[in-house]
Amino acid sequence: MDEFYSSIQRDILKYIDPGIINCYQCGKCTAGCPLSDIFEYKPNQIMMLVQAGRIESIINSNSIFLCLSCEICSSRCPQDVHIAKIMQYIRNEAWKVDKIKVASIKRFYKLFLKEVGITGRSYEPGLIAGLNLISGKLLNDMDIAVKILGKRKINLIPEFVKDRKGISRIVKKYL
Amino acid sequence: MQDTINKNGLNKIAYYPGCSLNSTAIDFNISLKKLLDILDIGYIEIDDWNCCGTTPAQNVSSELVYTLSARNLILAKKMGIQEILCPCVSCYNKLYKAAYYINTASKLKNKKEEQMRDTIIANLKDMGFNVEEELNFKVYSVIEFLYLKKKIIGEKYNEINAGRENLPANRVLLEKLKPVCYYGCALLRPDSALRFDDFEKPTSMEEILEEAGIVCKNFQFKTECCGAILSLTHKNAVLKLSNMILDSALESDANCLVVFCPLCQQNLDLRQDQINKLYKKNYHLPVFYITQLLGIALGLTPRSVMLDRLFVSPEFIKND
Repeated sequence: MDEFYSSIQRDILKYIDPGIINCYQCGKCTAGCPLSDIFEYKPNQIMMLVQAGRIESIINSNSIFLCLSCEICSSRCPQDVHIAKIMQYIRNEAWKVDKIKVASIKRFYKLFLKEVGITGRSYEPGLIAGLNLISGKLLNDMDIAVKILGKRKINLIPEFVKDRKGISRIVKKYL
Repeated sequence: MQDTINKNGLNKIAYYPGCSLNSTAIDFNISLKKLLDILDIGYIEIDDWNCCGTTPAQNVSSELVYTLSARNLILAKKMGIQEILCPCVSCYNKLYKAAYYINTASKLKNKKEEQMRDTIIANLKDMGFNVEEELNFKVYSVIEFLYLKKKIIGEKYNEINAGRENLPANRVLLEKLKPVCYYGCALLRPDSALRFDDFEKPTSMEEILEEAGIVCKNFQFKTECCGAILSLTHKNAVLKLSNMILDSALESDANCLVVFCPLCQQNLDLRQDQINKLYKKNYHLPVFYITQLLGIALGLTPRSVMLDRLFVSPEFIKND
């Protein structure tokens, strides 16, 4: 596992964003981040952890899994470090070894992609019902469901892509 | 190629609606199509399109999300078109990036990016597609596309005002309108490369609306993130961010918001009651798609651009 973590750091330094060495901890990324108050490590701390080779600590915290990829951090970085891209890379690597710290996100993504694998498209009613079933919160967002139905903004029957065999195969390959 | 040319001599553009636009953002879909019709811009929906994979696929594996997105590009090419209009901002980001990886002329930066391209191409072949020919995709978001066509919008608006007057209901609505433009985050950031506007202080939406006689107010939270898809797993985080956006709109003395992203629209409109409850607020701010307002300004009826499908009713604009 040690080699796994150090290879992530190596790849970031070599390919993903070699400019990360220029981070001087000004904290502008964290100041702009819409979720920094619920991140266990703030974006600037994540940059320092990458520099220090402590990838395991990053993967064991909730931050990279909650990140919305709004990229305000990258946009405003005075040193042009692409913080969001680095976090995205670590997140993808964490999924490869099934180390996903935030259980609700893991459930959601898996359910979503399973649906895409079956129909070729995403199907919101199935998704919301499925998530509520798995989490046991059956009445979560019921108010919203009623509204959506009232405005006829939902398909009650899922749409299927005609040529979907290939899509199923590809989704299975990565899930 | 002949049948893809419409009467203005413009090429038809391939239209990728994406999953949201067939359900919770059906009003965006219909109002955009109606708008394209009156602007005489030809479009044709990509046959048998699939989900782009959006946030879940992107966060699980970049190879997966760009493969799923690239399939749609290849389908457009099969129809003889390599210019794609992609209204949903999340889909746009994925399709735009997929085009970057597979376009023949793209200058990929390093070995990792080349590996990405090779994997996408291999996956497409595995799905039975021929990808040997030259690929030169151009993916447009609605804002970029309308910005390029803003002259046509202005001409159409002048034509309507010179000839017959706009519908009475539309005139009332337009007179009472005090909108702010909310861009959200995803279209403006470096990876999505909004190539015609400033990422901190964008003005393209305001410029487009001005062509149709709609003047907007300035607004502090133009490009703050609304919380996006976290609404399904961390709802309170989304309500907090969306509350700040609505609050800032009120502070600007606005009575409605204009957006172009289905997810922002959902969080601000559909969840406005939840925000009111949680934060003891009393917001009543309709959240229009830009295509709906342009349609109204260009003489389409409120029903035909589906104003009746908004959760926060714009009726108050008539009543107050």
